[in-house]
Amino acid sequence: MLRGDPAREGLIGRSLLPTLCALALVAGSARARAEALDGVLAVRSAYVNIDHGVFLLHARVEYPEGPAIRKALRDGITLAFDLDVRIERERRLWFNANIVEVTLHRELSYHAVSDRYVVRDVRSGDQDNFATLDEALGSIGRVDGWPILVEPQLDGGNYTISVRADVRRGQLPASLRALMFWTDDWARQSEWYTWSLPV
Amino acid sequence: MVAAGVTPRRRRRAPLNAVALAVFWGVIGVSAFLLLAKSVQNSGEFARLQWWIVVLNACGALALTVLVAHKIWRLVHDYRRHVPGSRLTARTVAIFGALVIAPLLIVYFSSLEFLNHGIDSWFTVEVKQGLNDAVVLARAALDLRMREYSHRTQALARELATVPPAAVQARLDAERRAGEALEIALFGAQVHIVAASLENPLEALPAQPPQDLVRQVAQHLPYVSLEPQAGGRYLIRTGAPLDESAASHDMRFVAAVYPVPAQLAALSEAVQGTYSQYGNLAAMRGPLKLSFSLTLTLVLLLAMLAAIYGAIFSAQRLVRPVQDLIEGTRAVGKGDFATRLRLPSRDEMGYLVHSFNDMTKRLRRARAEAQHSQEVVERERARLAIILARLSTGVLAIDRHMTVRMANQAAGAILGTELAPATGRPLPELAAGNERLGQFVGALAVRFAAGREEWREQLDLDSSAGRRTLMCACTPLPGEGRDVGFVIVFDDITTLLAAQRDAAWGEVARRLAHEIKNPLTPIQLSAERLRRRLRSGMSEQDAEILERGTRTIVQQVETMQQMVNAFSEYARAPEMQITRFSLNQLVTEVADLYRSQAPRTRIRLDLDARLEGIEADRGRVRQILNNLVTNAQEALEGIAQPALEIATRLDSTEEGEYASVTVCDNGPGFQRELLGRVFDPYVTSKPKGTGLGLAIVKKIVEEHGGRIDADNRPEGGARVRVVLPVMDSTRSAGGGARERRDQMRRERA
Repeated sequence: MLRGDPAREGLIGRSLLPTLCALALVAGSARARAEALDGVLAVRSAYVNIDHGVFLLHARVEYPEGPAIRKALRDGITLAFDLDVRIERERRLWFNANIVEVTLHRELSYHAVSDRYVVRDVRSGDQDNFATLDEALGSIGRVDGWPILVEPQLDGGNYTISVRADVRRGQLPASLRALMFWTDDWARQSEWYTWSLPV
Repeated sequence: MVAAGVTPRRRRRAPLNAVALAVFWGVIGVSAFLLLAKSVQNSGEFARLQWWIVVLNACGALALTVLVAHKIWRLVHDYRRHVPGSRLTARTVAIFGALVIAPLLIVYFSSLEFLNHGIDSWFTVEVKQGLNDAVVLARAALDLRMREYSHRTQALARELATVPPAAVQARLDAERRAGEALEIALFGAQVHIVAASLENPLEALPAQPPQDLVRQVAQHLPYVSLEPQAGGRYLIRTGAPLDESAASHDMRFVAAVYPVPAQLAALSEAVQGTYSQYGNLAAMRGPLKLSFSLTLTLVLLLAMLAAIYGAIFSAQRLVRPVQDLIEGTRAVGKGDFATRLRLPSRDEMGYLVHSFNDMTKRLRRARAEAQHSQEVVERERARLAIILARLSTGVLAIDRHMTVRMANQAAGAILGTELAPATGRPLPELAAGNERLGQFVGALAVRFAAGREEWREQLDLDSSAGRRTLMCACTPLPGEGRDVGFVIVFDDITTLLAAQRDAAWGEVARRLAHEIKNPLTPIQLSAERLRRRLRSGMSEQDAEILERGTRTIVQQVETMQQMVNAFSEYARAPEMQITRFSLNQLVTEVADLYRSQAPRTRIRLDLDARLEGIEADRGRVRQILNNLVTNAQEALEGIAQPALEIATRLDSTEEGEYASVTVCDNGPGFQRELLGRVFDPYVTSKPKGTGLGLAIVKKIVEEHGGRIDADNRPEGGARVRVVLPVMDSTRSAGGGARERRDQMRRERA
């Protein structure tokens, strides 16, 4: 809630504008979103291991899959799949200190010419293609050995690590993203999956 | 200075509120603008700042809503309570609001319609269909390649099935070069690489074949797929089984990777990119329209609220001077001329307010002057009232209809009724039951009816209390129409006339006593001498005639002597012997004397026991009583049951104590026409008597400083009342008996 996420703050923004007479429209858009991303969105498992002083994240995420997603992808929409990771140092008398906050950005799109589902790592530009949506979502839901932290960033104490999965509309121009503030039927996020960092 | 009735605190708070509101809106506007500018410069910042932008705008919208609601509630409240200016404000707000809201609504609906149609037009069916056709076209072009490469791979697989193992590598290399493949590999059981030919000699091993390829060739089917790569490249991956009879896990197959020509790849990538971009945008059509609609609606709401607030604010600013003028006018109407309005500006309204302030200033000055003049008039009126009240002359102001406008105390005293409190009432109405006033009103009416407005005459007013003579002067007062009036000035000259008559009669008496009395004695002596001398020489008959003649002469002379003595008595003024004696005892003595002389007359005494004694000339007071009782007895002659009552009373006034003696009889009473002159000499209704009895009584009473009046009793009979001061000092306050007598003598002289 404290980080700038368009989808999350869109929800907050709607709750702060009760005077709008277009609440019915917003409610209608909420129903559309529920239909589009209907299904399970959850971090099923996650852990880290240390390899030569590097903390590597392994996670399994279940993303919703349905005809609406398939149709949308085949119509050309691009979906962004973000995996947010937050590592905090616990403090007794104050809020936890934020040590690391990283996000794994990936996009899923349907390649109409090749009839393949393409998964692209936004940061590196690497991409894989899959014949089916299940394979593509399975690939996105498997995160293995993603380096998120190095030991020198830790200086003792107890740490917690939290993982959350986001799904939203991808490849949006900034100007259009601002307009999507009011209503975005392709924005959903999972609950935080939190555990203690084994130091 | 503020208008009366306007709360100064409210007026002081108004600029502060305006400044606070301006600061508030300024902060919100500048903050929102800065945040928006920052977010526009960096789209990544928008995600972080948009919450604050929303909060700020929400705060602004909420504050604006509350302000407008409060303003409208206040306006409705004032409108219902008929607060001055509220109707004008409401009308102005309605007009301003309509002028602003109507264009806003037009622009809003037009924009909404334009947006919806515009966005819909971006995603027409033709464009979508064109894109689909382009995709199909690209696929067809690529399918041609894919089929070609798949056939080559299948042919290679059939050939390799018969090629000895030593020649496989050479065959793969030859095929790779011939087919321009990136790599060709022969996989054996368990997907182990048997041989491979790579275009890039740095790569030691070929890429692991994808699972779907392995699964497909395991089913003895050829495999071909198009794989998009990063950078807009395309690869065609093919697979073909060698041993169609072998088991799936021991299956040998050929896998090859062919590049798509760059031109075809670029075209295909362009088609794909357009398709994807269009799909992304098309998917946003609904949300885009909704977002635009919501944004427009919010802007419309904010604009409408701002317009309404601005309309109310402007209307109140416009109406405020009018409200001040209304309240100021009301204050002036209530008499508060100290009201001064604040100058709102230098425009026409400011000129109006300035004129109002100037008017109140002039009114205040005029009222001060009028008040000063009124005070002067009141002082003069009070002074005049004091003068009129002290005047013995009656002053009466009436209008044309004889309604009393003003009357002094003396007028009421002379006319026998209180006129001062009767201001505003008509004189004829007041005259009811007042005989004297009735005659006065009648005399005025006769003269007014004759058109006489300015006159001076003597009026005689007869009443049961006696005749009063007034010297009356009438003068018209200046005025117009109904304001025309008259002032009537009159004096009661009855006493003056009586004094003049007394003086005249005194002179007559003195002359009679002097001129007539002296010859009477020689006449009488001469007549007796003639009778004595001539009687002896006359005949009986002549002697008889002489006797009768001389006797007649003597009798008439005696009669004349009595008359002369009476006049002498009336005229003479002997020295008064003031002693203290009991008036009740003197009355008793006189009553006893007359009881013995006239036993038929019943004489009743009603004596006041408090009256112990008075200081007066006892002999002359006895003469008063004798004259009064004699006069009464003479009046009672011929009355069947004559009765006479003598009463004494002690009266106390501010000037001193007075003793009164009242003599009443049951005779015929005084004749009405003589009632005002009964104390004049020779005024009598009796066949005998000198007519000087009551005149002498009055003279003695006045010498003692007393007064006398006569009237008729309601039950019949005459009543004479004599009032004498008990103490000589009381009458001395008016100059004393001697001085008064000397004065009377001088007056007579």
